[in-house]
Order: sequence, then C-alpha cells, then structure tokens
Amino acid sequence: MKPRLIGLLLVAAFTIALAWFAPSVRTQTRPGAQAESPSAPAEPKPQAEAGGPAPRMADGHPDLSGVWWGGSDIGAARGRGARGGGRGGARGGTPPPTFMSLYKPEAAAKAKTLGDKDDPTLRCVPTAFGTLNVSLWDVGAVGQIVATPKMIVMLTETYHGFRLIPTDGRPHRDDQPPAYRGDSVGRWDGDVFVVDTKNFTDNTWMSAEGRVSQHSDQLHIVERYRRVDANTLEIEATVEDPEVLTGPWTAPKQSLVLAPFDRILSLNCSGIETQALMDAAAKQTGK
Amino acid sequence: MRRAIRTAFVWSLVSIAATATAWAHHSFAAAFDMNKPVTVQGTIVQVRLENPHSWFFLDVKDATGKIERWSFEAGTPSGMVRNGFKPGIIKKGVEVTIKGFHAKDPTQNVGMLRELVMSDGTVYGMFGSQQGPAAQ
Repeated sequence: MKPRLIGLLLVAAFTIALAWFAPSVRTQTRPGAQAESPSAPAEPKPQAEAGGPAPRMADGHPDLSGVWWGGSDIGAARGRGARGGGRGGARGGTPPPTFMSLYKPEAAAKAKTLGDKDDPTLRCVPTAFGTLNVSLWDVGAVGQIVATPKMIVMLTETYHGFRLIPTDGRPHRDDQPPAYRGDSVGRWDGDVFVVDTKNFTDNTWMSAEGRVSQHSDQLHIVERYRRVDANTLEIEATVEDPEVLTGPWTAPKQSLVLAPFDRILSLNCSGIETQALMDAAAKQTGK
Repeated sequence: MRRAIRTAFVWSLVSIAATATAWAHHSFAAAFDMNKPVTVQGTIVQVRLENPHSWFFLDVKDATGKIERWSFEAGTPSGMVRNGFKPGIIKKGVEVTIKGFHAKDPTQNVGMLRELVMSDGTVYGMFGSQQGPAAQ
C-alpha cells in the first residue's frame, strides 16, 4: 500500500472516530439559536444588539451584564471554551507557559505525587481559577454577570459559585475566612473593570480535568474585564503565588461571547459515584 | 494493508480517548477501559443530571434471572440540557439499552455511556439528544 493512501486512511479513521464519539455533533446550539425545544416558551433574547457598541450603565461605565460563554456548552461540536490567545502559541509558535510550568522545584515535586483521582472537583470543590482560564466559568463553560452601580455579581453555573465584587474602591474585607474562590474587590480603570482577588484556601486546584495545579493560600489573581462590544467580553488575568511559583503567570487572554439566553441553570453536584470510580481506577492502575 | 487498517483502528481508539478527556471534568481515559466495550439492557432506576457528571442507573437481569444494578457515567448536565436533553425525558421504569465502555475496575458494574437506545429506537448520546428538533 502506498504511504499516501495509508495517510489518507489514518486521517479518515481519525475523523470518523471524532464524529462517532461526539454524539452532540448534530445537536449543538447554533449561534443565535435558542437551546430550547419548540414547545418550550422562548427565553428572552439578550438586550444587546448584535455587533453594536457595548451597553452602558447609568453611571457611564460599560454594563458587563449577561450570560457569557464561548459559543456553546461542553459537549457541543465546536465553540468549546473562549477564544484564547494573545500570548502567541495559539496559532503556532511557542506555546504560552502554563501555571504549572512556573512551579518552584518543591511544588513541582509535590505535583508529581498527585494524580487524576486527587482532583478536588471530583468531590464538588470548585477551582480557584478555571479549567478554561476563565474564573467566571470555574469548572464549566458558562457564567453570568449581574452588574449594579455598586456591586458586580459573578455567578458560575457549575458548583453554585458566586463572587460579590464591590466597585466603589473599598479594600478587601477583614472578616472573610479563606475561601475557595477568594475575596474580590473591583474598580474601574477607564472602561476596564479590574478585579483583585486573594484570601484563597489552599485546598483547591487552579483547574480541573485531572490537571494537577495545586496552589498556596498566597494566591493572588488580578483580572481585567473589557466589554469590547455588545457581544464580546475580553478577560485578561495575572496570577501570583510566591509560595509555589517562580514568578507571575499571565493567563492567555480570553474572549467570551454573549449567550442567546439570559439565565444560567442551577445544577447540583454530588461527586460520590465519580470519586468512587476514579479511586477504583487508580487502584487498578496503581496511579 | 492489514497492518495499515490495524494502525488506523488504534488511532481511532486514541482519538476517542483524547476527545473524551477534552470534554470531561475528569479524564475518562483514566477511569474507563476503551478496549472493553459493554452493552447492557435493563430498566432505568434513576437518572441524575448533576455535576461533575450525570449518571444513569439501571437494573439488568442476567441469564439466571438475577438482577444486578449497573451505572453509567454521561456528560455534564449543562451540556446535556443545552443539547436538548430535558430533565424527566427518561423516566424510571423504562427499558433501555446502553452501550459504552467498562470501568477499569472489572469488579464494578460501571461504564461510560456512549449511546442510550430507547425501546422506540430513540438514541441519546453522552451529551444528550441525537435526534429530534435540537439535533437538526
């Protein structure tokens, strides 16, 4: 058999495998379409005009309100995750460094002792940051922002996460025990909403999916949210953790789009079966 | 030729495992044996649309008439719901056939759901509907 023919055969097999395993490939939510059955009452459409300027609140600041995702949910054929980039590597070149690539030797050594079964999210503990480098999403791929003049509320669909972020320049509160998602304060820098988050617990990971990414309680995240237009929200984040990292980590810039529905779901997490499954698998494989 | 086909097949399995991992809250490849497909037919006992993953529980009668409880892990609830898989769409007591992959621990009646077939032929995948309006 000619090498070229073998190559074509391999490509075809790869494509078939992807299509076969992606049952939702024909059920993806099309951009601009409602993810509802025809019999269900239609969800109100987002207020923003497609492609128009970012809406503004009464005080003149951009209104960040809306349900934000990457174009579809996990399991859909495309659009998974935000459009990340901005640091090279997304379309060739040197891949951007990851949080874990900046580990000090002792942190890297500890990471080697951890595995998939140790992922806190299996026990319904959220991440400190986000699997797809979007803290608004945490473990999932959808989140909602409710903006008010004095407070911006960030709601995460997965694991019932929320962040209450005052916008009046007040300092971090001193009565907040260390928390999974830390304590956040915000301020406006022109049209950019800057969120400063610290006071994390040290028993979460930065991301899920078995990606070992432990951190310390010295974790400090600064995010910059910019509503570029009616349908686009860009997020940049800088992460410091002097206890485990050799230097600051800049997360790849993320670009989210406004979802065609105005409410996230309320979803439970139990994790009992999933954790038991992972523990049993680890015993079988010795990992 | 046979070698090429074998190579292509292996690549297919690798692709499946990689894809599953990319869409999961945990590594499916770490928990399930992709070389061990499993098909069971039984009665739905419970469907739980929850994080980190949804689960289908069913009672399966073996050749001797003994009933065993099986459970299959499926996709994230948000992904399933947005693909048109509404809560209550599969009710307790209905007969289904589930195809998937067995857990790495062979002593457990646990699998990864690849396909759920209803008695009327309706097919659901790991992330919900494969037929109906949402699938068009």
